[in-house]
Amino acid sequence: MVKELVENSIDAGATRIEVELEQGGVELVRVSDNGGGIAKDDLVLAIAPHATSKVGTLEDLDRIATLGFRGEALASISSVSRMSIRSRTTDANEAFELRCEGEIKQPIAPASSPVGTTLSVRNLFFNTPARRKFLKTIGTEQGRCADTITAIALAHPLVGFVFRTDGKTQFDLPPNQTAQERALALLGSELEPEMLVVESDQHDSRGVSLWGLVGTPAIARATNKSQHVFVNGRAVRDRTVQHAIMQAYRGLIEPSRYPTAVLMLEMSPEAVDVNVHPTKAEVRFRDSSLVHSVVYHAISRALKAADLTPTFFTHGGSASNGSAPSAIESKLSHPTAIMPSPFQQPVQTNGPAQTEAFVEYLRRFTPGTDQLTFPLRGSAAPNDGENGAVSAALDGRATNTEEKQAGGPAVTNAASAQNVEGEVYAPKRVDRILQVHNSYVVTQDEQGVVIVDQHALHERVMFEALLARVGRGNLESQSLLTPALIDATADQLGRLEEMKPLLERIGVEAEPAGPRSIAVRSFPSFLFSRNVDPIEFMADLFSLTDEHEEASDAEAKHRLAHPTSDIPHPRSNERLLRDVLDMMACKAAIKAGDHLSDLELDELLRLREAVERSSNCPHGRPTTVRLTIKELERLFGRS
Amino acid sequence: MKVICDRGALLDAINLISGAVAARTPKVQLTCVKLTATKTGSAGEVTLVATDAEISLRLRLAQVDVQQPGEALIPADKLRQIISAEDSEPTLTLETEAEVIHIKGQDAHFKVFGYQVNDYPPVPEITSVIAGTDGVKAKAVFTQNAALLSGTVARTLFATARENSRYAINGVLMKRDGKKLEMVATDGRRLALCRSTLAGGGDKDAKTISCIVPTKALTMLQRLLGNGDENVQIAITDNQVFFAVGGGAKNEAPHSVLSSTLVEGAFPPYEDVIPKDQDKKVTFDRDVLSSAVRRAALLTNEESRGVRMNFQAKKKHLELSSRAPEMGEAKVDISLAGYEGDDIEIGFNPTFITDALKVISDPQVIMELKAPNKPGVVKSGGDFVYVVMPVNLQ
Repeated sequence: MVKELVENSIDAGATRIEVELEQGGVELVRVSDNGGGIAKDDLVLAIAPHATSKVGTLEDLDRIATLGFRGEALASISSVSRMSIRSRTTDANEAFELRCEGEIKQPIAPASSPVGTTLSVRNLFFNTPARRKFLKTIGTEQGRCADTITAIALAHPLVGFVFRTDGKTQFDLPPNQTAQERALALLGSELEPEMLVVESDQHDSRGVSLWGLVGTPAIARATNKSQHVFVNGRAVRDRTVQHAIMQAYRGLIEPSRYPTAVLMLEMSPEAVDVNVHPTKAEVRFRDSSLVHSVVYHAISRALKAADLTPTFFTHGGSASNGSAPSAIESKLSHPTAIMPSPFQQPVQTNGPAQTEAFVEYLRRFTPGTDQLTFPLRGSAAPNDGENGAVSAALDGRATNTEEKQAGGPAVTNAASAQNVEGEVYAPKRVDRILQVHNSYVVTQDEQGVVIVDQHALHERVMFEALLARVGRGNLESQSLLTPALIDATADQLGRLEEMKPLLERIGVEAEPAGPRSIAVRSFPSFLFSRNVDPIEFMADLFSLTDEHEEASDAEAKHRLAHPTSDIPHPRSNERLLRDVLDMMACKAAIKAGDHLSDLELDELLRLREAVERSSNCPHGRPTTVRLTIKELERLFGRS
Repeated sequence: MKVICDRGALLDAINLISGAVAARTPKVQLTCVKLTATKTGSAGEVTLVATDAEISLRLRLAQVDVQQPGEALIPADKLRQIISAEDSEPTLTLETEAEVIHIKGQDAHFKVFGYQVNDYPPVPEITSVIAGTDGVKAKAVFTQNAALLSGTVARTLFATARENSRYAINGVLMKRDGKKLEMVATDGRRLALCRSTLAGGGDKDAKTISCIVPTKALTMLQRLLGNGDENVQIAITDNQVFFAVGGGAKNEAPHSVLSSTLVEGAFPPYEDVIPKDQDKKVTFDRDVLSSAVRRAALLTNEESRGVRMNFQAKKKHLELSSRAPEMGEAKVDISLAGYEGDDIEIGFNPTFITDALKVISDPQVIMELKAPNKPGVVKSGGDFVYVVMPVNLQ
């Protein structure tokens, strides 16, 4: 209900919306806006069923650009509550109020009010006790309302939102924010260093544009609640998009975790059917594989471009003091870029004129516009690099300024300035490398101390090599003198035949031998040189395929239950292959506890730079953590 | 105990025995070497003993002057370092004072803290297992010429598996069968078998007996088998094997005795693996083949390590080639004289071929093949058979 009312306000062109709840909305929901208002004569119509001002012609139904269009909300709310609408249009001198109590309407009376509409709903379901019972506890209802408003506020950064519950202000968002500011304000500005900007490639999006922020793997959550997806400004839950997000993060996060994401999809209203779900929480895309690919590629690109090395904080949760260079910054600024530059001085003087300029600068980064380029990406050339440093600093500074104006959490802006001023140590390639407890490799980069999990990194390296190798042809396989016999269940024996192509690709030749065992006749030669035992390997391979079987069963059931969700799945065999290669990589990789010579350490770190997605092992665990110089300085009390 | 030792002989002995000293153990006594000085008449000798609880080595040192018999237990590492460093001394004096050992040269005096000799674990002796005096009696005792034994070990040891979880193939099967001694080693992809006739013709009625000897024990045995004229007495018990090197004649005691626990488990049924129906046969000059394989292997890598061997009967010519993606290709042609059979193209791990060629002393080797997915056989003389499984090349 709150959603309907707030969306009405947005459709009315409001730039500031206040929502007040009492007792989780059961007692009172009041939504006030400064939108266009409702004329006196229309007030009665407003609560009539199926009356809407949002559809002018029949064709409009195919191009639904407003959030509501059915004309049902007010009518149904008014019939189960004590509702009042007080509204004044821009050109009217006075406001009018319509009160109704269930089916009983009172005559419209003049009232006083600023331009806009205030809609109060009291005693929801007062006349339908059966429905009232189904309201959850106050806390739950309030939480749901908050989620709803958060989602709407994310989608409409230009509209100011005030949300109060029982007199307490939960948040107060100024109007005219950029999408990024709004997202950070709502998700928590301490996440800023961990958020990456995502945008669709204009050449390849075929009418679908995407802008958003996604979190680094380090801040992935246990549920997908922190994923906010908007289609043309409407908050939706969509399996296609969720799937694309998960695909993009594949191998970067553990499978049970969900990345944080705010994604704004814009497409022509004809390309999406919003009228499939009662609360419009689901939509149907005309071309869902296109949407999938746009989302997937945009996020993948952002992740590949970013340095995903998690930064190690020794103190809990106060990352917001900005002691770490933000992920956005580090993505933008080439190491050589953080050099003192002629532009440094203006950055430091924080005059109002400049602030204005910065705000203006940031304005350009609003969703849906065509030049969503952060001008700094991949700025390898020294010239670009300098600009990059400055812009990065501007970015940090301006955001901080904005937040201060907004009364949001105060953020020290010292860090970003220091990043520009501070002399940056650029380590040479051949630096001292230390192996700790034969398990972790410690070295340094331009940001500080880098600690590498040798097994995780080597596993990732091997995985990428294997993936490339399998792409070129089957793995070389070495025949065995005597077949290795492994115990197998009847089910596994049955599956052996369909696994043949997969096994062939990885260089395993196996066939049933008797009712309870499988004979492995040949085995990939490179696993031999890594001392991998065929029997153990095959046992693990089968347990892996067992899991896949279960997963695809579950998926099949899901598809039966939701025949509409036509998600473009990669062939499940392909996924199994990746998992198998991952397992091979894991077995073949250096283990924790293996001593490495200096030469090997050097090579491993070189590979880290050479391999894509080296920040996480194929299971999604991080391979590398970083302790920044800033953090070290803080620890030693030098900052 | 007080002895004056020839430094060179003592150093050789301590270097040998270091192999049997436990490297990492919580029991410090196992990091020591036990010295026992004895004197019979005017002839004195020092026995050095070390064990890591699996392998034990006992060495006799005759180039000593025993002034006072006795025993000592000394950290092996320190002893070795001192003896090695005193390189200008022809002799060294070792003298004990309770658990302390004094090692004296011309101008140096080392005082090393040792341990109570009584704390050292008992090391079984070959004489007692042959006689069965300690409750353990050998199941078989036989003798082999040292040079023959060394050759048999060398031609099999290389083919053992390293750290394989199929524990039984981490060693070499040793089988005494009548007049023959047979050794077999495999790592699951290749198998080496070598036979030799026992010294003195053996005993053709003796019961067949086999055991699996750990790789490490055989590696150490090879270092003891220096003098080819010696005999080696071999005794096998239920869970141990003894090799007594030297001695024998005139009831002289052996100079070195190595004992080792056996590898438990069943060795793969290797007779079935050796193919009998190979229909393609060729004789190579060992060095020519070895060189060709080595060169063709230069462009292989970890993921693509196979060398392709293309036998062309009509052209009397063998082409060896390799290809590693993103690295390059190699091609070596050698002539093929006296090839019997049809054309065949087969891939092998080149290391497997060169490994075998290295231990073959005969200048001629025979290679027998059947099909690209069937094992290849390398033979030399009548006593060496090497089976190698092909790799499946793409």
